[in-house]
Amino acid sequence: MGYFVGTDVGGTFTDLWVADEHGATHVFKTPTTADVQSGVLDGVVMAAEALGLTMEQFCGRIERFGHGTTVGLNALLTGTAARTAILTTRGFADTLEIGRLTRQSTGLNEQEYTDSYLRNRNPPLVPRHRIVEIDERIDVRGRIVTPLDESQARTAIATLSAASIEAVAICTLFSTINPVHERRLREIVREALPAAYISVSHEVSPSVGEYARMSTTAANAALGPIAGGYLSRLEATLKASGLKVPVLMMTCAGGVLPTEALNDRPVFALFSGPAGGVKGSQAVAGAIGIKNVLSTDIGGTSFDVGVIVQGEPIMRADLSIAGADLRVHSIDVDSIGAGGGSIAAVGIGGELSVGPKSAGSRPGPACYGRGGTEPTATDADLVLGVLDPDNFIGGRLKLDVAAARAAIDVRVAKPLGMTIEQAAWGIRKILDSRMADLMRRMTVERGYDPKTFALFANGGAGPSHAWSMAADLGLDRFVVPAAATVLSALGTAVSDFAFNTERATYVRLQGQRPITPDECALIEKGLREASEEVEAHLSKAVRSGIRVTASAAVRYRGQTHHLDVPLAAGAFGETQFRTLIDAFQRRYEALFGVSATYAKAGYEILSVRAVGTAALTPPGLTSKGATPRPGKSRLVYFDDPNKSHDSAVYHATVPAEGWAVSGPCIIEFLGQSVVVPPGARAEADRLGNLHVRLAP
Amino acid sequence: MTTTAANENNAALSPILFEVIRNRLVAITEEMRIALQSVSGSPTVTEASDFFTGLFLPDGSVVSMGFQVAYHAPVCSQFVRHIAGRSAEHRNAAGHTASTNSNFAISDRDMFIGNDPYIAALHQNDVQMVGPIFAGEEIIMWAGVEAHETDVGGMDFASWSPRAREVFQEGMRIPCVKLVDRGELREDVLDMILAASRLPGPLGLDIRAFMATLNVASTRVTELVRSYGVTAVKDAIRRMIASSEQKMRARLAELPDGEFHGVDFLEHDGHENVLYKLHCKATKRGDKLTLDFSGSSKQAPGFINCTRSGLTGAVCGSVLPTLAYDMQWNEGALTPVEIIAPDGLVCTAMHPAPVGSATVEAIWVTANATMLALNKMLMCAEGYRHRAQGLSAGVMATFNLGGVNQFGERFGLHLMDPLAAGSAAWPDKDGVNAGGPITSPFSGIADVERNEQVAPLFYLHRRLARDTGGPGRQRGGVAAEVALTLGGIEEAEALVMTHGVEVPNGHGANGGLPGATVRQTWGRGAVENGRAQAANYEVLGPKPGLMRMTNRDVFAVRWQGGGGAGDPIERAPAAVASDVAAGLVSAQAAHAIYGVVIAHDAADEAATRTQRQRIRTERLGRAAGEPRAIDGRQIGRIGENLLQINTGGMTRVVSQAGAVLATGDTRWRQGAHSVTHREPPPHLAIKLHAELAMTSHYCPISGTLLAVDVHRKDETPLDDVVLV
Repeated sequence: MGYFVGTDVGGTFTDLWVADEHGATHVFKTPTTADVQSGVLDGVVMAAEALGLTMEQFCGRIERFGHGTTVGLNALLTGTAARTAILTTRGFADTLEIGRLTRQSTGLNEQEYTDSYLRNRNPPLVPRHRIVEIDERIDVRGRIVTPLDESQARTAIATLSAASIEAVAICTLFSTINPVHERRLREIVREALPAAYISVSHEVSPSVGEYARMSTTAANAALGPIAGGYLSRLEATLKASGLKVPVLMMTCAGGVLPTEALNDRPVFALFSGPAGGVKGSQAVAGAIGIKNVLSTDIGGTSFDVGVIVQGEPIMRADLSIAGADLRVHSIDVDSIGAGGGSIAAVGIGGELSVGPKSAGSRPGPACYGRGGTEPTATDADLVLGVLDPDNFIGGRLKLDVAAARAAIDVRVAKPLGMTIEQAAWGIRKILDSRMADLMRRMTVERGYDPKTFALFANGGAGPSHAWSMAADLGLDRFVVPAAATVLSALGTAVSDFAFNTERATYVRLQGQRPITPDECALIEKGLREASEEVEAHLSKAVRSGIRVTASAAVRYRGQTHHLDVPLAAGAFGETQFRTLIDAFQRRYEALFGVSATYAKAGYEILSVRAVGTAALTPPGLTSKGATPRPGKSRLVYFDDPNKSHDSAVYHATVPAEGWAVSGPCIIEFLGQSVVVPPGARAEADRLGNLHVRLAP
Repeated sequence: MTTTAANENNAALSPILFEVIRNRLVAITEEMRIALQSVSGSPTVTEASDFFTGLFLPDGSVVSMGFQVAYHAPVCSQFVRHIAGRSAEHRNAAGHTASTNSNFAISDRDMFIGNDPYIAALHQNDVQMVGPIFAGEEIIMWAGVEAHETDVGGMDFASWSPRAREVFQEGMRIPCVKLVDRGELREDVLDMILAASRLPGPLGLDIRAFMATLNVASTRVTELVRSYGVTAVKDAIRRMIASSEQKMRARLAELPDGEFHGVDFLEHDGHENVLYKLHCKATKRGDKLTLDFSGSSKQAPGFINCTRSGLTGAVCGSVLPTLAYDMQWNEGALTPVEIIAPDGLVCTAMHPAPVGSATVEAIWVTANATMLALNKMLMCAEGYRHRAQGLSAGVMATFNLGGVNQFGERFGLHLMDPLAAGSAAWPDKDGVNAGGPITSPFSGIADVERNEQVAPLFYLHRRLARDTGGPGRQRGGVAAEVALTLGGIEEAEALVMTHGVEVPNGHGANGGLPGATVRQTWGRGAVENGRAQAANYEVLGPKPGLMRMTNRDVFAVRWQGGGGAGDPIERAPAAVASDVAAGLVSAQAAHAIYGVVIAHDAADEAATRTQRQRIRTERLGRAAGEPRAIDGRQIGRIGENLLQINTGGMTRVVSQAGAVLATGDTRWRQGAHSVTHREPPPHLAIKLHAELAMTSHYCPISGTLLAVDVHRKDETPLDDVVLV
């Protein structure tokens, strides 16, 4: 076996994770560059050097190269994506701008919702003058009400060539039921604008609901020329250096795909970073036999959580970005404005709040010495002894303790009549409890008890706060993966191939009415088509071993929210229907209680989804850990704001299997400090993951 | 955490514990929302967010509330107080041997249901449930949930009857009934409630959603109390409320003392097309605000009234988003606000007045008047002036459809699309097109495809409507418009009613004009097999009421635009040209109202200058003069256009061009050049009620438009800003 390489481009750092032929792992971080690609190459060079190889030797031996990037998301958010036009049904060109009224609130944080002055900060994805109405209309049953007027369409499309359009999104009403007009329009656009990248809504986002489908198709079109270009450049450069395998992109849904399989679905990879993080947690958890995981990541401005149940991440169908609501099947990663840069402030009523406002990285926390004067969570960690001012990110940034103390003193401690340490403790406590509230909500609202989950602490600040969040949730331990600072990169290297799609299959059953053969046939057809599409796409990447699973969106008749209920791919008859409804009822009961079930209402089956996966087995990982080196002990505050503990300090890269230590202590890694409170015990497993068991 | 509990007594740390508990209570209200939306069977709940969740103290004080429809908070408070009152009455009447079996006794895991507007409800469709949360023997809090139900019985479908003259003809009233007794659902009572509705299915599903929601609240609060102790939780709640009160008082203290008036109207009471006035006089002194509605019309013989429940709801729903936009919404934010209103007004109707459509009629317009008054206060304050606007979404028009749907089921649809009205402009930016009301942060409308999938509808268009945004230096958001017919069925019963067809409720600010009035039309035989046919569209009045609709008929409706801000002839010509290019403003309106001449898709600068001079001349009846020097010291401003100048100890209101409009006080209208129109100016998509007029007030020197008043034609416009 050769090298398994995972790469993830974040806002500040580009991360690299490498497993060598023996399963030993290595971790690298380089600054993200403006062109993105050279940051990735810097990382590859750095890895080759560390492994004692030339760039060509290293690239030649790479068996798998995974990649995640925010290039697409940034292009959408900064308006630098391709110049895109939309074709839609006559009478509905304002769909994006009206945006179901919810578009105007996209991008607002939890404290901004009530302020209508802040609404509509972000324009629609495509301006109105590049949206063209076409004479055609298909109804809910797929019947052609108004035939496509091809000559009108040609004339309308001709105006686009003058506007130097690079991409065209085609989204007409009920194309998911009958795609004939969208298909014909694609042909007409191809003739008229041969160079344009074309996205068609019934392929990109085949769901009923025109606003999200149109947004998703528009985003996909706008990304097409950019993402494709970036990925093929990266792949070409790496191949020139000897890479023999394709670059595999992480998708929102958590599977990887070769770039060529993503060329017509770039929007699928919009949020590769958060998805990669959860996939990384899933892989680590799988290796050590943990089934239920809260995969957390504390960054500078936000706290992200994904939930893994019985080894599988919980998914969602919808995503929001600033300016649009999209429909992309994704790992559900929820997030609040709570991170190292979160600013602490005292309100006029004498209440202390932390976040969602963030100092970001410029000016950053007061202790960064870049002119920040507002106290942040990082300043509090420094004052509490959690961070070593001389060993932050391996000493690359010297932290200014006096500045942190002064900021906390002036802005928090004095106004509240506290000591600086009490104030810092309070900042941490509030931040940690906000994060615990989010995790509680994400588990409880789905009918799970948070106590049955293991908390995985990732990201720079995650391992510093995990002990306190875990205690707040009533958990008795947490895990710091050996690759906690580069978990998204790891995820890109070890995930299976995966592709998914859905089909609208609207079936409505009143009361106890039995399902008809026609209705069964409709669902079976949807299942078959979705499965075939998934297999066709995946076979671009792998020749065999494709596994297809399916689910159906079911709800009680009259509801708007549905549940995704697993379903066997293949034949669908009355037996399968009964199994599906029973599974729905059970799941519903678990979520909302027996008293909330209401079979009398009847059911609706909205759509079916097929998910195809093909395993790409990573090497069995090993760890050649080393015993962490003791450092100079320091005073650290834990549960009690009035009492610090002299705490041992250890410097670690990957701790050796069986290495164990009791709290209070701090275990410092490059870019993170694991806090082990008094009475707790940390122990490394065979892969170098630290398991911290809290005092009972 | 054990250590946290140990810290409870450490006074210095209470701000921290307080914040932790506060965040948790807010999170619990959010979890209640999720439970409700997941189970509910009403699109009004799941798509339009027309619902409420909240936590209350035993005295009814709001502890924490969701971000949805704020109108319901004081109503739910009142319901909690009512139950406690009935319970106490019962105990007293029964002496000390009171049986806990009484349905007025309050036990753990009880849930009460109610929807009586004469006790606590906005109107009968707003069904609410509350349940006590016990800590040991003590009720520590109440949880409350409410949602709009499409049909709760009564003489007409959807429980809104333009024909009603008494509340007895409207939807059933549930005063206060124990539906869940110590955890056991009283199926007999539920059956009775469902039997009264034309749509028992959705109502039954929603009642289950209510129970799930209250269960979530109870479980989460009990856990919270277990973690931190009763004392800490109670203390934190007290501080939460005190903190919001302190913030609200500080905000009020920053705003100028004075009297501010907001006046709005609604037409047609279901029987006759008469005009009703809602007048809010806001008096602000120091950190206290008094809202006096005494100047409003007497109660109506039809269903447009609201009870005092509705008035308090309207005040809460307008005060919070306008003044408390950046603080936690709870009782404290409302404490500094006093309401004055005698009984028997259209907003304090007395039993047995009908109140079926209160939410979209008297309550909506009471909130309009209140927000107008409050924005005039913001207009006079440094640091807030940029937030002062006219009115967003002045109307929520109604289109209900009932009958048998394409699946052969009895159905009822309450179309939420009318939320897509325009929102008002700010002094520094345009209003949001189809932005909707600001009183509910999470309004939404369903996709056309989703509506057509589950309801027998077929849309010909859903789009933005040109020339509907209130013209101004900053333009009000344009409204959306739809045209629809039936899909999959041949006929149904439609209920069409609104106000704002002849009242421009989307008032402007600082000289901005109002947005368009509602225009609803009916095209008989206007569609065949889903394709539009040449037909005459009949223009409907405000309340045509119940109408038989076939799949050959088209209902086409355009809603109100948001109010503009500032004089439209001061709008950047390039911005007008871009509006014309985007189809938001017609070239004719650009010329006549904005004074912008468009040539080759761009503004012709020279021709625009000439046209704008011509408009100023027309306004004044003579050429505009040169600006005069203003002597004296500026001590304040009223909006964007008027300066308060102190000259030798005397305060004057002076226009930007130097015209002295008032001396000694701020009643500046007397010094303006005012022109009253009985007919709205051409090119404004506004229709005026026979009893209304519009008056424009111009600077007598420059001809700049300073304010536009909509008023009864037999009354003169009020001086709306009287600073102390």
